[in-house]
Amino acid sequence: MMDPQFLSAPFTGYVYPNETVFPWGVLIVVYPYLTGLVAGAFTVSSLYQVFGLKALKPVAHFAMLTALCLMIFVPSPLLLHLGHPERALNAVFTPHWSSAMAMFGYFAGFYVILLVLENWFVFRPYMVQQAQQRKGWSGKFYNLLCLGSHDVSEKAMSYDRKWIFALAVIGIPGACGLHGYVGFLFGSLKSREWWSSDMMPIIFLFSAIISGTALVIVLYVVSCLIRKVRIAEDCIKLMAYTLWGFVMFTLVMELAEFGNLVYKGREGIDTIMEFVSTRLIIPFFVLQIGVGAVTPIITLTVLFWRRTTGRFLIVGITVSAVLVLLSVLMMRFNVVIGGEEIAKTGKGLLTFPWEILHREGVLAAASVLIAPFLLLLVMIRIFPPWEDSPAAESH
Amino acid sequence: MDEKKDLDKGQCGRRDFLSRLGCAVAGGATALAAGVALAPEGQAAVAAKPNAPKIPGYDWGNHHYAFGVDATKCIGCLRCVEACKTENEVAGDAHHFRTWVERYAHVEGEDKVRIDSQADPVNIAASDSEGQYRFANRYKDVKVDKAFFVPKLCNHCTHPACVQVCPTGATYKTKDGFVVIDHTYCIGCQYCVQACPYGARFFNPVTRVTDKCTWCYHRVTKGLQPACVEVCPVGARIFGDLNDKQSSISQFVANNRVAVLKPETGNAPNVFYVGIDKDVE
Amino acid sequence: MPKHIQRLIFLFIAFGALALTARYYFKDKSFYEFGHYRGDSVVEIARDKPKYKGTAYCQSCHAPQFAEWSKGVHNSADIGKIVKCEVCHGPGGGRDPESGYMHAATGPDHPKDLKLIVPTDTRKLCPLCHEKLEARPAAQAQIVIDEHAGTQQCTLCHNPHSPKTLVGSIVPLLHPGNPATGKSKAAACLGCHGAVGISQGLPGPTLAGQNPAYLAEKLGEYKAGKRNNPIMNPMAAGLSPGDMEDLGAYFSGLKCEVAPDALNQASAGIKAKAAICANCHGTNGVATSRSWPNLAGQSKDYLVTALKAYKAGERTNIVMSPLAKDLSDADMENLAAHYANAVCK
Repeated sequence: MMDPQFLSAPFTGYVYPNETVFPWGVLIVVYPYLTGLVAGAFTVSSLYQVFGLKALKPVAHFAMLTALCLMIFVPSPLLLHLGHPERALNAVFTPHWSSAMAMFGYFAGFYVILLVLENWFVFRPYMVQQAQQRKGWSGKFYNLLCLGSHDVSEKAMSYDRKWIFALAVIGIPGACGLHGYVGFLFGSLKSREWWSSDMMPIIFLFSAIISGTALVIVLYVVSCLIRKVRIAEDCIKLMAYTLWGFVMFTLVMELAEFGNLVYKGREGIDTIMEFVSTRLIIPFFVLQIGVGAVTPIITLTVLFWRRTTGRFLIVGITVSAVLVLLSVLMMRFNVVIGGEEIAKTGKGLLTFPWEILHREGVLAAASVLIAPFLLLLVMIRIFPPWEDSPAAESH
Repeated sequence: MDEKKDLDKGQCGRRDFLSRLGCAVAGGATALAAGVALAPEGQAAVAAKPNAPKIPGYDWGNHHYAFGVDATKCIGCLRCVEACKTENEVAGDAHHFRTWVERYAHVEGEDKVRIDSQADPVNIAASDSEGQYRFANRYKDVKVDKAFFVPKLCNHCTHPACVQVCPTGATYKTKDGFVVIDHTYCIGCQYCVQACPYGARFFNPVTRVTDKCTWCYHRVTKGLQPACVEVCPVGARIFGDLNDKQSSISQFVANNRVAVLKPETGNAPNVFYVGIDKDVE
Repeated sequence: MPKHIQRLIFLFIAFGALALTARYYFKDKSFYEFGHYRGDSVVEIARDKPKYKGTAYCQSCHAPQFAEWSKGVHNSADIGKIVKCEVCHGPGGGRDPESGYMHAATGPDHPKDLKLIVPTDTRKLCPLCHEKLEARPAAQAQIVIDEHAGTQQCTLCHNPHSPKTLVGSIVPLLHPGNPATGKSKAAACLGCHGAVGISQGLPGPTLAGQNPAYLAEKLGEYKAGKRNNPIMNPMAAGLSPGDMEDLGAYFSGLKCEVAPDALNQASAGIKAKAAICANCHGTNGVATSRSWPNLAGQSKDYLVTALKAYKAGERTNIVMSPLAKDLSDADMENLAAHYANAVCK
């Protein structure tokens, strides 16, 4: 793979000489997208585990497993981006607590453990069963995962249920932390007007929830189609309600933040308005807002209003979910790349230099996005999360 | 049946005992590890800490360094930019600078000021290469109402945003006021590059860590001036210890109305400017 | 507690111990010494070797150039303008080539293992400071290069270490001559140079109001045979340096006027050609340096003769020879008329 030393960006107006090399690229767009999907998928699962919404039983374990697969790949865009990934643990050994980024090692580490644990408890009865039934290496594998204990007595299961509940409860603020800190990472900076906002953590968190919910919807529909299983309408409808509500809230938040920025009109607003009215028309107004948020809201509103059922409902919800996924990706892109395209001088604009075959290029970012789903394909064979599989137990 | 139960109980008792013993051992081992891991810090805290790093002939206490820029004197010769690159091994291209010079020109009839730096493609084209710098004679065919040069560099802020956001502690502020980077510890996340409001930091593509002006710490601790101050032919750059009331920087700050860049950030920069204008950020 | 929970807790503890051990092993001992950073790094950063040495470093080996520089205008501490040696010649110390990037405490120094640059293209170098740019403060000496120098190198006229001390000239006389003594010695001169130093169709040029240093230098050249003229060589042979200084003083004190043979006004277009001459000879023919001749009020015929002599190579001067080659006969007539009509002050 070609690895140029660096790519410099063309610009108009005046930018500081060091700004012509973009510090963060598409990998840093993908990273919050992945953690957002994790947080959102976990939220769907928690709605079942903690809030007891039984309609979500078909997707609860699947969402949990999806969250784990995504979480495993969450550090990869960061490791690809770092100048010295071999020193990455410096931030864990000597975390500088004033830095939001130091939080990453601990939040992410905590969350990996939490997701591993949660999935372990959820799939433990299945693992025990497989350890007892299978012979040879696969049997030994499941046995190892069970930590050598085949105890599925009522006492053990009640312990498990308590753990699952506790983990799910802890996981909710954990998800807020895991993804909220990313928003704070951007919002707390004084150097870029485009990022500097108190609302950033909230916007990031809620767009995370909608992306995760949308992902679970899409994956659920796809998995049902592949497995030729009937899609549970109340399950998908409940997820759609969740999506609908949170998308509206997220849209309000995003527009409020943007409107606030324009209204306040601080120094540098001319450059920002030039940027918004030219470069941002398609990525922001058309894709992120129009296609990605308003269209799903309208679609879902119409579907709910007319009490649509059956195939139309499922198609409408799935299409809305796909659009939401696109919208959230565009949001990350517009925040990260857009922010860097507006120069710190407030008097210039740069153009992001796209790279394809580079350690931080589009191909690498796409691979990082696809990899968790490839892992998921493998994981669903080892730990089938379906409602009708032996893995689904009384919890 | 009862015997079996007793036997089971006995076996259970042994298992219980063993598992409890295992837990105790594990707990003890952890405590020991924790003690070992944390103790050196404790010991260091208890024992007398060294007060200053062992730099030969230099004590970092009792200094309050600051930098002055007299933009009324700067002639835009860019010797400072080239000297800094030579002294500090900065990449010889037009995208990585520890210090730079900006030119502001108010052209007659235009209300927007024209700004360029030596990194502007027009100026790079006027020089021999990307590693040599000169300002092109861009305005010879227009009428210029007012124009001047402004040198820029890291402000070594009192409340540096870059230090605040560094996740590892690789960039820090020394006791004598220099904000520097530990190049063996930086992981290259570039958060500090984002956080600096002045654009003073950059990512070194060779060493793959971030880099910035250090006010030539390696020179100042030997009693020398920073390289840019050393070569400036017109005295537009001033450096010294504010604790020394007779130093040129103390005189500069005392005798002039000085300004700083972007005071609204709250970073409290330590580069003091004379002769900048409303458009200078 | 069920066994799997026990084993899980045990795993946690083991992991925690491993993490703490790793932290202990990998964390640098000097971390937290002075703050949230590696204490050793302060010393490492400070240890880096400076490359710029300062002017005192150059003095011991390059004393003559240093002396030139320290007395010249590039060392004007009084107005805060000092162009140090390393600005043009590069730093006296270098990076250790073995060190890669990291802080190096060693490295070559000039002269051992490090050659310094001697700039040859001064036309690129000097305008870095001296090209006229709008943003440059007025206090900075600036020129429009093409008009000032044509295509010439700066060092053609300027000594880079002491730029106002121009090439091919001497430092202003340490002992200004005595005009009264000079008058008494000047009797032999007046026949060719005029009763009051104003040449009126006579063989010699006007000397009235001429720069004393220039006059003395030319007399010295005649005496040494560096400049050849059948009349002047024997004339100068009998003069001592003191005589030359006195004569120079006497003639420079005489009143100069518009040349008697300045009948024609110069054509209007001559100003452009004269702009280059003005750099040394002044806009109105009063030289910018006392080492160079004033042209104001000089005999027109003499000026034409001199220019032709430069062009033909009968007279050679490092500055005048190339410049004269660009002049046509008409140019020479015009320039001569221009200066002959000028009034010297």
